[in-house]
Amino acid sequence: MDREGCELSRLTRRISETPLEFLEEPRLGKHGTVAVSAVVGDLCRSYGFDPGPAALAAFATGTPKSDRNRLRVSLVMTWILGEAWFRTADLRNAPLLPLLLSGASELSEHVAVEKLLSDPERREELARFCLARLGFRPQGETRAQAEDRLTSLSAAERARVLRAAREAEARARAVREALARKAAEESADKYTRE
Amino acid sequence: MTEPSDLERYPTLTEDGRRMLERLREHRHAPTFRNESGNRLSAEDVETVRAFEREVAHAVVTDQREEASPWLAEFLARVYREVPFYRAMGGAPRRLSDAPSVGRADLAQDIARFVPDSVPVERLINFRTSGTTGHPLLIASHPVVAASYLAFHRRALLRFGVTLRASRGDVGVVLLGYQRKCFTYVSVTPTLDEAGLVKLNLFPEDWRDPQDRRKYLEDLAPEVLAGDPISFVELLKLGVALRPRALLSTSMTLLPALRRELEECFACPVVDLYSLNEAGPIAVFDATSGGHVLLQHRLLVEILDATGNPVSRGQRGEITLTGGFNFCLPLVRYRTGDFASLELRHAEPVLIGLEGRAPVRFRSQRGEWLNNIEVTHALQPFGLRQFQLHQGADGALVLRVSGLGSEQAAVRAAVLDLFGADQALVVEELSSSEGKLRQFTSELAP
Repeated sequence: MDREGCELSRLTRRISETPLEFLEEPRLGKHGTVAVSAVVGDLCRSYGFDPGPAALAAFATGTPKSDRNRLRVSLVMTWILGEAWFRTADLRNAPLLPLLLSGASELSEHVAVEKLLSDPERREELARFCLARLGFRPQGETRAQAEDRLTSLSAAERARVLRAAREAEARARAVREALARKAAEESADKYTRE
Repeated sequence: MTEPSDLERYPTLTEDGRRMLERLREHRHAPTFRNESGNRLSAEDVETVRAFEREVAHAVVTDQREEASPWLAEFLARVYREVPFYRAMGGAPRRLSDAPSVGRADLAQDIARFVPDSVPVERLINFRTSGTTGHPLLIASHPVVAASYLAFHRRALLRFGVTLRASRGDVGVVLLGYQRKCFTYVSVTPTLDEAGLVKLNLFPEDWRDPQDRRKYLEDLAPEVLAGDPISFVELLKLGVALRPRALLSTSMTLLPALRRELEECFACPVVDLYSLNEAGPIAVFDATSGGHVLLQHRLLVEILDATGNPVSRGQRGEITLTGGFNFCLPLVRYRTGDFASLELRHAEPVLIGLEGRAPVRFRSQRGEWLNNIEVTHALQPFGLRQFQLHQGADGALVLRVSGLGSEQAAVRAAVLDLFGADQALVVEELSSSEGKLRQFTSELAP
């Protein structure tokens, strides 16, 4: 975060205006419509470097069940990186691909793409996350301020996600136990049985 | 584990209902009932089920296009919000075709992840499905869901001019099984004014005297007999003098010859249902429509190819389900493992050429791969009640036929005609009492 970036509001506004095309289903095999690898490739080339097919393959592999959210976050990030300010910044040596790949993967484990767009705190987190991973801090903030704010936003969300995961596991256990009860085994009347 | 009480099994039981249970259990020709169950419906549940029956009676089953299913968008949004398996994938897709399909293996891995958060666990029940496809399943369900089957049975029966009339003091249905081990019990149906319900096993070991099977059934005189082709074959052997208003057949392919025999014997419609534990009654066979007519108005049926893409209208593929009335297990593109094509006939969606299991391919002696449907066609002229074909790893065939009789040589010739004159083939009598019959199996893979 050594370099000063743009105003945070420019990015949060852009996030809230994400076009539907960037929310289409990522293509994985024969599933989905948007070739995320192609979008990422175009973006990189527009910033002056060619990532090559090997690097782009990671944006076209996986399954809808395990990789859908990750690739959707990558796609939204390509939209954010199209903001005019980034065009004026020097991104030639910025870690663009790591942001779109491991950065998107990291965020996607904790939050669905819809929430990144609809929840004001998640929009702010996403904007700050993109700037930070490219080495920028929001305009008008010190490095310490920017780091504190991003950490606090992320920590609150991760704590919520951990809580939700614990609750989900407890619920799954309760469902399994309920289904194993004698009463559940006895079932209930149906006029036909399969 | 705590034994449920009668109050839990029959929460709305009246004195008349209690007398019906007593009659069914303590009849002098009654079988050994090995289990306990019940309707488990509260007064409020009974009203819910009745309202659902009214809704189903008047519902229009649309042509199965996504845009003709106004309930679908809200359904997908709810599933992706409330069901852990889907929530983990992010928000709901805007089109159904963007949702991945799931299969039995997904459900078998952990059914709990498919139960919505909004379903209270206290009243969950389970249904177990047979493991004929290699994945035995435990299905999450609820007493209201189980009772709601009747709404679709009524709709199916109405196609054949049958309206259920059983009421207080009558026996509404006897569900027949013919298996070494079978879940058997008695109950009453609150939405039919506590008409009796019996689930029994025709296997002789469950009876004091094998003759009691006939006597018990004749004395109960149920309005409906429900079963599968195996139990119906056994029923025919008993020579019972019964006049049910309909027979409901599920679980396995009902071959035309057995249907005709049953219709002649009982002088009533034999209603062949395509029904799955995962989704309940899906369709009913109607010869005038040329296939199985869809029954559920909030269940979208797609036909998918092997890669998960919808096939063109009229092409064969895997029957795939979205929606359904089991609120404990909402389905999103659930691949059933069953195959058919889907067509509109007289403005109704109809499954054509339904084959109960995934297509099995057999290698002919000439090295060609034959689809099981070709075997079905070759054997059609013989009007077989039931048959089963297996191909071993060495290519040898075993054809087992129920009631083979004098046609053995002709059946054998038809199979050899299809597979080649030098094909190794054993033809033998089929005597299945081990539950669901898997009609086609092979140890060879194309």
